[in-house]
Amino acid sequence: MMRRILIIDDEDDIREVAQLSLESIAGWQVSTARSGAEGIERAKADKPDAILMDVMMPAMDGPTTFREMQKLPETADIPVVLLTAKVQGVDQRRFAGLGVAAVLFKPFDPLTLADQMSSALGWS
Amino acid sequence: MTAILILVIALLAAACGMLLYLYTNTREACINLSTRLLQSERQNTQDQDALRQRRHLDTIKDEFISTVSHELRTPLTSIRGALGLLSAGIMGQMDDKAQNLLRIASNNTDRLVRLINDILDLERMDSGRAPLNIRRCSLPELVKSASDTMASMADGAGVKILILDAEDEANPEVFDGDSDRILQVLCNLLSNAIKFSPRGSEIKVTSQSDNETLMLRIEDHGRGVPAEKLESIFDRFSQVDPGDSKQKGGTGLGLAISRSILSQHGGAIWAERNDAGGNDNPGTTFLIRIPRVRVMADEPPPSPVRMQGAILVVDDDALVRQVVAEQLRRHGYDVLETDRGEQAIYIAERQHVEAILLDLYMPGLSGWETLERLKRNPNTAEIPVVVLSVLSPASHRAEGPHLLSTAQGWVQKPFNESLLLAELGRVLHTGAGPGRILLVEDDDVLADVVIAGFQDGGRQGMQIDHVHSLQEARRSCEKEPPDIMILDLSLPDGDGFTLVQWLREQPTLRKLPLVVYSGREVSADEMEQLRLGPTQFLTKTQVQPEHVEELVLAMVRNLRHPTLEAQTVS
Repeated sequence: MMRRILIIDDEDDIREVAQLSLESIAGWQVSTARSGAEGIERAKADKPDAILMDVMMPAMDGPTTFREMQKLPETADIPVVLLTAKVQGVDQRRFAGLGVAAVLFKPFDPLTLADQMSSALGWS
Repeated sequence: MTAILILVIALLAAACGMLLYLYTNTREACINLSTRLLQSERQNTQDQDALRQRRHLDTIKDEFISTVSHELRTPLTSIRGALGLLSAGIMGQMDDKAQNLLRIASNNTDRLVRLINDILDLERMDSGRAPLNIRRCSLPELVKSASDTMASMADGAGVKILILDAEDEANPEVFDGDSDRILQVLCNLLSNAIKFSPRGSEIKVTSQSDNETLMLRIEDHGRGVPAEKLESIFDRFSQVDPGDSKQKGGTGLGLAISRSILSQHGGAIWAERNDAGGNDNPGTTFLIRIPRVRVMADEPPPSPVRMQGAILVVDDDALVRQVVAEQLRRHGYDVLETDRGEQAIYIAERQHVEAILLDLYMPGLSGWETLERLKRNPNTAEIPVVVLSVLSPASHRAEGPHLLSTAQGWVQKPFNESLLLAELGRVLHTGAGPGRILLVEDDDVLADVVIAGFQDGGRQGMQIDHVHSLQEARRSCEKEPPDIMILDLSLPDGDGFTLVQWLREQPTLRKLPLVVYSGREVSADEMEQLRLGPTQFLTKTQVQPEHVEELVLAMVRNLRHPTLEAQTVS
């Protein structure tokens, strides 16, 4: 099924690889944003089915952006999957406590990224 | 197409080279730091300068490792992603040679990722930055879990994992440890055994235990480790055959990490050659020893718990009561005794009882019933209870699962003194009342994020109060001294230095644990000016506000339980 995804990551290359992966492997429609603030605006305008968002971003990081979106009626219901390069157990537990749909780890496998998102979001 | 591919591979090679260079440098830097640290400690451990330098170096090293982790992983994500997409054929199908080149690049990227993970793991453990999350673990359950995890790898290699479970119901194989870490060791050992086992062979896992320690043997029928290498295989980057890391895909760090983990648990790991018996593949046996109760030689004995009340021992067996009471009194506890559940509830309601040691099989009101009544009664519900029984928590699970969740601790009879004291110490520490955190921060948005961090963590036990200025902070401290303070340095009506100076002059506050969370780097001199009790320095640019929660909680844990994690906070 065609899904509309918003990718928020400050790293150009990772944004591109993730976009290419979701578009060419899963056939999803992808829009992108390079910061938390831009991501919130995009999310309000696009109303994507889900958001894939980096944790470590300058100015406003992933968890902060997520909390901001939770406060806005237009974006509060959009499920968010966090993408992080941190792998320590404490980080995992903390992110899980945020209330995001899932936390995926970098480096991700571009061939299964869409599958991992789907299963985390309960999309069959 | 081939031209593009060659270009990509060339770029990758350059990137990998750079990463390895970075790694080598970072490692050297870490070693340099450690060496300097050791030297300064040796010269004069009392020397304040060395201490300050050590704290500073620890902070640098911590930040460094965290940054390296993130910085290395980020480019690897792009590389890994680009390679994966190319090999999936999104640019059109490639010929076999090109596919093969891509496979090589992909495999080696994966190897680099594993290597980074392992190196970070080791560095964190060596520097004491990976404190154990100690809880009661069941060894057979961990073995089963490790075997399940490795099942597909074993299937692929045509190797069978045979668990010979000989657990004695009366004496279950439980220990105090970090289950994630021990699981990591078991997976690592099984993975090694599978890699080196010939197709069609078996890996035997057996355990053996006594009252003090648990032993586990993992026996394979691979080519075996030469006698002279039985010890050196635990060194970093050591392999029996230099070609192994290429062929078997290991990092050469797994056994070093395993040894580090076991030594953190006060245990040991080693390897033995199997008896050849004319066999070409005698194989190797890896052995693990874990103490049931974690006792570290270099740790001071558990500090006596400050208490006003007594420990209530409830057991119908007078001999047991006598032995327990004697042991507890010897360690400075006040003890009350009774042989009946009804009496126990009566005492708990009227006297100051800090904890209850409760037998299960008693005439009259049984331990189960007593526990239930204690927990239902608002006057006694908060008193931690340690079950003292011949039953094990595991064997009891079928009878009434709620018992495990209502009692705070469990000691199985026959018990030894250290086991009893450790469990009692544990429940008394975790039973400590809620802490009050005073957050002094004029930026509301930032303060909200910090507070949200605590709430997200579900820390009901923590009360966090937010004030905006120097004036408010003083007033709040005077009204009720906090347990810990998080302090921003620049405040509308003064700076953090002024507040710290004032705190120093207050007899009840001069040892207050402090987290300085500032917008800029704090110099070594300034650190000295700001130091109160245990003090931690965080920079806003480097530590995100929601991470503050984790560090503060680590500090609080240390304050309450200094013997377990004393090294994490200066």
